[in-house]
Amino acid sequence: MKSKRQKGNFHQILAPLLFLLPNMFIFLVFIIVPAFQGLRMSLMDWGVFTDPVFIGFRNFAELLQDSVFWVTFVNTIVFSVSVVGLMVVSSLILALLLKRNTLTGERVFRAVFYIPSLLSMIAVGIAWRFILGDEMGVMNYLMRSMGGPGVPWLTSGRLAMMSVIFVSVWAGSGYYMVIFISGLQAIPTELYEAARIDGSSSWNTFWLITIPLLKSTLLVVVVLGTIASFKAYELIFAMTKGGPGYATKFIVQQVYQVAFMEDRMGYASAMSIILMLLIGFFTALQFAFSGKDQSYE
Amino acid sequence: MKKILLLLSVLLLVSIQLFAAGAQEQKAQQPVTLSVMWFNDANESDVFLATIADYLAANPHVKLDMQVVAFADYEQKLKLMISGGNPPDVARVTNNHLAALISSLEPIDGYVADINAVKAQFMPASVAFALDDAGKLRAYPTEATANGMIVNKTAFAKAGIDVVALSKTWTWDSWEQAVRKVIAANDKIKYGLALDFTPHRFSTMMFQMGGRFLNENQTAMGFNNPGTIAAIEQFKRYHDTGLIPKSVWLGSENPAELFQAGLVASHIGGSWNINTYNKNVKDFEWVVVANPKGAINSSVPGGKFIASFKDSKNKVEAQKLMAAFSDKAHNEMYCRDTFNLSSRVDAQVQYPSNMADFATFKSDLEKTPPFTANEWKHPVVNKVSAYIREQIVEVLLGNITAQQAVKNVDVKGATFF
Repeated sequence: MKSKRQKGNFHQILAPLLFLLPNMFIFLVFIIVPAFQGLRMSLMDWGVFTDPVFIGFRNFAELLQDSVFWVTFVNTIVFSVSVVGLMVVSSLILALLLKRNTLTGERVFRAVFYIPSLLSMIAVGIAWRFILGDEMGVMNYLMRSMGGPGVPWLTSGRLAMMSVIFVSVWAGSGYYMVIFISGLQAIPTELYEAARIDGSSSWNTFWLITIPLLKSTLLVVVVLGTIASFKAYELIFAMTKGGPGYATKFIVQQVYQVAFMEDRMGYASAMSIILMLLIGFFTALQFAFSGKDQSYE
Repeated sequence: MKKILLLLSVLLLVSIQLFAAGAQEQKAQQPVTLSVMWFNDANESDVFLATIADYLAANPHVKLDMQVVAFADYEQKLKLMISGGNPPDVARVTNNHLAALISSLEPIDGYVADINAVKAQFMPASVAFALDDAGKLRAYPTEATANGMIVNKTAFAKAGIDVVALSKTWTWDSWEQAVRKVIAANDKIKYGLALDFTPHRFSTMMFQMGGRFLNENQTAMGFNNPGTIAAIEQFKRYHDTGLIPKSVWLGSENPAELFQAGLVASHIGGSWNINTYNKNVKDFEWVVVANPKGAINSSVPGGKFIASFKDSKNKVEAQKLMAAFSDKAHNEMYCRDTFNLSSRVDAQVQYPSNMADFATFKSDLEKTPPFTANEWKHPVVNKVSAYIREQIVEVLLGNITAQQAVKNVDVKGATFF
């Protein structure tokens, strides 16, 4: 009897822990330890080639006065909220259109929409710079050939921000579309059939069946999208280098500039900590709003 | 017996000596793989390998593990490798990299018999970039670079302007008059000037207008001065009046591509553009001309270097390779095939073409005041340069005035002193 209980304990408690151990170890070494190391560095005055000197919270105090940092902070939030919002909508629409496996060429369309997320974001950024460039861009070339004026897609602050948001949504939607498709396909078809028999309109079915049962998938998409958008760098740098001026400069680019060009690793770490807290705050907010998952019963 | 013991002792000593010498020889000839980090302006990594092919053939125990990194990522990668204690054995660096990395480089002094003789082989400005505070040489200069003006000769000719003759005495005012005629006479030419999106290239105009980054003693920032303000205001006026395309400084389009496409009449860029334009420009004739004069004549000196690091694993072999690569014959070959100016004073590079263009760059360098090199060698100028670029763009956008921009830069720069 005792040995059975021991065996049960092993299967129920120890075995899962053992399976989790390698992943937990990797998580500890590559996430937790660097995060604490970053926190420690944020309390130091430290260049790449100089010894760190402990300065307490002075880096954080300086951040409060740093106008450029706050511009990048606001830009990051505007970009992230816009990209996540638009990306959720666009990827959900794509998923709804391509979920059934009944349309001709549906798989081809899925692949076409998914391909941008496989590409290097640097390559995507360079390609779009060639499309939207003022003088050498394809769009303006076409517009001018038709007698119209060129549009300052990347040289006007507001249009540059809109352009990087659009391209980010374009590049990321395919990936989230696949997640949504798997979520949609997991919803039992009986529920839709029952709704149809009860005379529910498509709109009501979408809001009362699809969305509630897709909540957990939606949360995954929003959280992953938020984290990715807060860390966006390559695509934006390749397209605008953060410009014009500070118009598309985000915290990540400022961290890079301060760390590697101004050689202030401690100060850059303090910025990274703020970014981490910002991501944590938005993620917690999303979990709080999502509430409990709906079940099919 | 004593004699036999003495004889045996002598034989023993001699054999130990011979064995030690043999072992040393053997050690020196042990296979070694040098890690080499390089970046390309055009074809430099290929030419480097071709240039030292004879050295590698004569030293079969030396192999290279070459890594070519995009210039945009180069400095960050080097810094991370150095701070991680794992720098390459040999790296190509610019004068800007030297300002940031010089304390991590291995001094050459300990590896050559006469360091003063080595220094004397190179241009003083190039040597100055590679000297640390103690006067030790930390890198071999390979190429000298200069910022200069490259113009679309065909477009100027179409406007009836002999640009080569005019440029011998031109000022910014006469340049402006000329390029306005060029724009009017050529349908395709839309702009007068493209200037690379870097503070380094902007400083060409700034130095010409009498501006500077630091005070005379280089003990503090000195960006807030009439010359710098005049340069920024002139730069803004050129943008506002359509002489300069906004797409470069506001939209990060590549100015070389605009020039190659025949959209701009002139381009202020580095001497390495000769190589690029030789390959890519087919539709019109181009030529390097003297920089327009502002308050003074000036270019901006710079250069490329080859260096090893204090923590490099194979410093001895790295130094031997660098010394060989930097000798007259190898340097001439490398500069000829990469279309670069040589840093060696005794170099007589026979370029397959463009001899006059190189002569113009060199002539501009000779007119350049020495403080320009010293300013770009200063680590603070490097640290604040990204911020300078942002502040200039803020002026171009009309968000702040030139006066506010120079004050902001001085405040920011002061935090690095």
